Amino acid sequence: MKDLKHLIYFENLLENPDNELVEQAKAEGGLAVGYTCFHIPEVLLNVDKCFSVRLRAPRTGSIDIATYYMSNYTCEFARALLERGIEGGYQFLDGLAGVDACSMMNRFYEHFEILKLNDKENFFVTHTDMPYKVEDFTLRAYKKQMEIRLLGVMKEKLGVDVSEEAIRKAVEEHNRVCAIISEIAEMRKADNPVITGYEFHILNLVTYTCPKRLILPYLEETLEELKSRKPDKTPRFRARVAIVGSEMDDPDFTKLIEEQGALVVSDRYCFGSTPGREVIELNDDEPALDQICRHYMEVSECARYISDEKVQQRRNTADRLAKEYKADGIIYEQMKFCDFWGFERALVSYVMSTEMGWPVLSIDRPYNAKASGQLRTRFQAFVESLEIKKIQKAQKNGGIN
Amino acid sequence: MAKVKYPNPKFFRYKDNMDWKAQGENLKEVLDISMGMIKKTDWKKFFGRQKDLLKDDAARVAREFKEIMAMSTEEKLDLLKYGEKKLGLLYRKGDMTTVRREFRGLADTAYDFKEWLRMWGMLLMTFSKDLVPALNATFHYRWMMSYMCCVGFMDKNTMGQRGSALKMSHLMIYDIFRYVAENLVLLAKGDKKNGNSSELNKKVVLFDEMTMGQIMAGFPDLVGIPYQLMPVFLVSEIDQLTCVPYIDAVESFGLPADTCPVPSSECGALVIDALPHMGSCFISSSMPCDGSTMASSYMQRRFPELPVYHLTFPVRYEYEETVEDGKNDILGCIKFVEEITGAKWSWDAYFAAMKRFNEETAYELQKWEVNKTAYPQIIGPCYELFRKWNYEMDGGADPRVIPTFKKVNDIMMKAYERKEEPWVGKMKYRGIVWSCPAHYYANFSNWLANCWGVDILVEMESLNFTKPLETEDKDEALMDLARLYERMVMRRHTNGGYQNVVDELWRQCEAWNVEIIIMYQNVACKNMATLQGILDDQCRDKGYHMIWIEHDLMDPRTVSRKTMRDKVNEYMRTVMKAEPVDPTLCDFDDDICL
Repeated sequence: MKDLKHLIYFENLLENPDNELVEQAKAEGGLAVGYTCFHIPEVLLNVDKCFSVRLRAPRTGSIDIATYYMSNYTCEFARALLERGIEGGYQFLDGLAGVDACSMMNRFYEHFEILKLNDKENFFVTHTDMPYKVEDFTLRAYKKQMEIRLLGVMKEKLGVDVSEEAIRKAVEEHNRVCAIISEIAEMRKADNPVITGYEFHILNLVTYTCPKRLILPYLEETLEELKSRKPDKTPRFRARVAIVGSEMDDPDFTKLIEEQGALVVSDRYCFGSTPGREVIELNDDEPALDQICRHYMEVSECARYISDEKVQQRRNTADRLAKEYKADGIIYEQMKFCDFWGFERALVSYVMSTEMGWPVLSIDRPYNAKASGQLRTRFQAFVESLEIKKIQKAQKNGGIN
Repeated sequence: MAKVKYPNPKFFRYKDNMDWKAQGENLKEVLDISMGMIKKTDWKKFFGRQKDLLKDDAARVAREFKEIMAMSTEEKLDLLKYGEKKLGLLYRKGDMTTVRREFRGLADTAYDFKEWLRMWGMLLMTFSKDLVPALNATFHYRWMMSYMCCVGFMDKNTMGQRGSALKMSHLMIYDIFRYVAENLVLLAKGDKKNGNSSELNKKVVLFDEMTMGQIMAGFPDLVGIPYQLMPVFLVSEIDQLTCVPYIDAVESFGLPADTCPVPSSECGALVIDALPHMGSCFISSSMPCDGSTMASSYMQRRFPELPVYHLTFPVRYEYEETVEDGKNDILGCIKFVEEITGAKWSWDAYFAAMKRFNEETAYELQKWEVNKTAYPQIIGPCYELFRKWNYEMDGGADPRVIPTFKKVNDIMMKAYERKEEPWVGKMKYRGIVWSCPAHYYANFSNWLANCWGVDILVEMESLNFTKPLETEDKDEALMDLARLYERMVMRRHTNGGYQNVVDELWRQCEAWNVEIIIMYQNVACKNMATLQGILDDQCRDKGYHMIWIEHDLMDPRTVSRKTMRDKVNEYMRTVMKAEPVDPTLCDFDDDICL
C-alpha cells in the first residue's frame, strides 16, 4: 500500500508528550491538562481554553530514579511517567487530572505533588474517586467527583469556563474526532483492509495526545486519503488478531505483532478506540455532565469494575469485537505488575479459550515491548498456530488438499 | 429486648443432611492416599530418625540438667521465678514443633498449663456441638488439619512472656480461638460436601474475609461468616506452609506471581476446591486493595449459583462527599441480604452491638495510653491479633468479649501501677511496626523482643477508626458505618492518599515515642511499594531507625523467617552496635516449623 501522507508527521508527534501541536496550542493561550485514565472523561478536559493530553513516556530509557521511589515490581507505565516527570518532561502541563482507580498510578500523581515536579504557580494535581460498579448512586457519586474534584478545581486554578455550554461545545469537537476514528475503524473490518493495525494505532494515539482542534484537519485529510487508498493485492498478513487488555500506548507493540504476520484489527485496551472513540450522543433534557458520566461508566471496559454484569460485558465485548473484525484469535495483554489485569487476564483468557472457543495468547509485557525477544517468539508461535488452524479448517471444509 | 444467646444455639442444632455414601467414598479415597503414603514411607529411615531424635532429647535433658546443677542458688531462684532464657534452644532443625514447652518459672508455667487445659476444654466443648461434620472436615480439607496445632500457635505467640502479660495474652487469644472453633463447626455443618445442613445454609451470609462484620450485627437471626478467614487467612498464621498449595495452583492457572498472596491464596483455594460450598449469598468487597477487588470474579465463577453483592467503598475516604456513596452501598447490601434471606434488619440489635463496640474501642484507647508511657504493658502477637479480630470480625457482635476487655484492662492497669515488664529484662528499645506483617511469621514481634529487646508498642494495622459510632440517629449511624468500613485494617492507611501512611507514620512515631520502625515490605503490596523512596527519604530526615523487612505475606519460600530475622540481626549489629538479649535466638532453623 502507498504510505499515508501524514504518517511520519503523526509518528513524530508521538515522539514527545510536549509535541508540536501541544506547543502550538500553548502558544495560542491553551492550557494543557494531563491525564492517564479512561475514568476521567476526556471531554471535560477540553472545555474552554483547556486541552487534554493523555500522558505517555515515549522513548523511555532508564527508570532508575522512579524505581527508587516506587520500587522495582510496580507498574512500569507509572514508573516511566514518574521518571519523565522527574526529568522535567511534563513542565508544559497546567494541571494533572488524577484518578484513584489503581494504586500504582495514583502514587504517580502523588509523587508529582510530593516531589513538586511542576513549578507553575497555578499548577494542580487533583485526585478523584472512581466507582467500581454502575448503579444510580455510583453515577451520582461519579458526577459529584467530576463537579467538585475536576471541573471545580479547573475553574478555581485555571479560571476556565466549565459551564453547560462549554461542556457541550467540547463534546461537539470530541465527537468530530470520534466520528473520524470510528469511520476509519470500520475499514478494518474488510477482508483486505486499507489500513494496518500499526497505522491505526498511530492515528488513534495522536487523537489522545494532541489538541483536538489542531489534529482534526490532519485526521479529516487522512480519512479522505484512506477512502481512496488501494490495499495490497496480496495481503501480507497470515492471520488477524484482536488485542484486549490493559494500558497500551506503544505502537511498536502493534508493529511487533504485525512483523510476525498477524494483522491487528481491533484494539480493546486502555488508550485504544473501543472504548474511547465512541460518539457521545447528548440530549437536551438532561445536563451534559450527567450524560457524559453515564456514557463513560457504561462503555468502560476497565477490569476494575467488578460487578457481575460488567465482568460479563468485558467478555462479551471481546467476543463481539473479535467476531465483527473477523479476528482469528485474541491476544490478552497486561502491563506487567498490573493487579487488575493480572487477575482478569488469567481468568478471562481461560474463559475465552475454553468456553467461547477463541484461540488466545495471554501475555504480560513491559512498558516498551519492541526490544522483547520473548514477546516476538510468542507472537510468532501464536501466528503459526492460527495459521495451522486456518489450514486445518480449510482442509476440513475441502478447500485445500 | 429479650437477651439473645450468642451465637444463636439454633445454628448448631439445625439438622445435618450428610450424604453418607459420598462420605464413605471420600473416606475410602483418604484411606487409599494414607495407605499409599504408608507403603511409600521408608520405615527404616523413619525409625532411624526417631532414634536420633530420642538420643538428641536424652542429650538435651542431660545438658539442661547439668546446666541447672551448675547454677548458683541465685540463678536457680531466678529460673524458678522467671523461667528459662535461652529460647533458641527450643528449636531443632527439621522439626515442625519445638523440642518441648517453654519453662516460664513455676507460677507462670502452672498458669500456662491451666490455660492450656482451658483452651482444650473449650475446643472440645465447641466441636462437640456438632462433632461428626466437624471431625469429618479433616477428611475433606487439609487446612483443617493445621487447626490441630492451634494450641502450639498460642505457645509461640506467648513465648517469653511472664506474669500479667502472659495472663492478658491468654485471655485475648482464648476469645479468638472460641470464635474460630465456632465458625469451623458452622463451616463443616453447612458445607454441601459435609454436614450439608440446608436449614443452616439459609441463615448463613458469607463475607469476603476482608470485609468487616459489623453489618451482620443488624441481622441477629443470621450468621455472617468471613468466608476465607478460616481456610486461608487465619490458618496461614498458624501453619506457615498452608497457603503454598493455593498459591502454586493459581499461579499454574496463569495468575502472575507478583500479586498479593491474600487474593492469590483465596483464588488458589477456589482452584483446588479448598473452600466449603455453602451459604445463602456472598458479600464480596473491593477492600483493601486492587488485588482483593479482583478476587471476586474467581468466586463468582466457582460458585455461579451463589448470589453476590459487591460492597465497594470509595477509595478517597477522606473526602466527606464520598461518605454518602458508602452509605448507599451499605443500604444496598442490607436490602440484598433481606431479599435473599427473608430476614429483616434490626436497628435495636445493631445499636446494641455498636454500643458494645464503642465500649470496646474505649478500652482499646486505654491500652494505647498505657503503651505510650514509659511502662508499656500490653504488647505482643496475641494483642495484635486480638485488636484486628475485634475490629474486623467481632465488631461488638459477641457480648462475651466485653468481660475479656474488662479483665484485661484490670490486669493491665495493675501491672502499670507496679511498673511491670511484659518481657522481663528485655525492654530495651521502643518500636513500631508499619505496613502489613507476614502471616507466616505472626510472632515476629515476639522474636524481636526476646532476641533483641525491641518491643513493638503498636502496629499500623491496629491504628484504625476510633470515633464512637452513632447509636441513635439511623441516618448518621449508616454514615458512621461507612466511615468505619472505609477505614478497615490496612485500607485505613494504604488507601485514600499517601498522607494516611507516610505522614501518619511520623505522627505515630512521635506519639508513641519510638526509636525503631520495623518497616514490613510485603513484596507484592503495590500500595506500599510505591512509597518506598519517600519513606526512606523522610525517615533519613527525621532520624529514626527504620529496618526494612521483606516478606511475601503467605509464601515463606520467597523470603523465609530466617531471612527476615537476619535483616534485623544485621541492622542491630552493624548500625545499632547492639548485643542480643538472647543470642540463642539469632540463628536457628524453623523453615518447616509451624
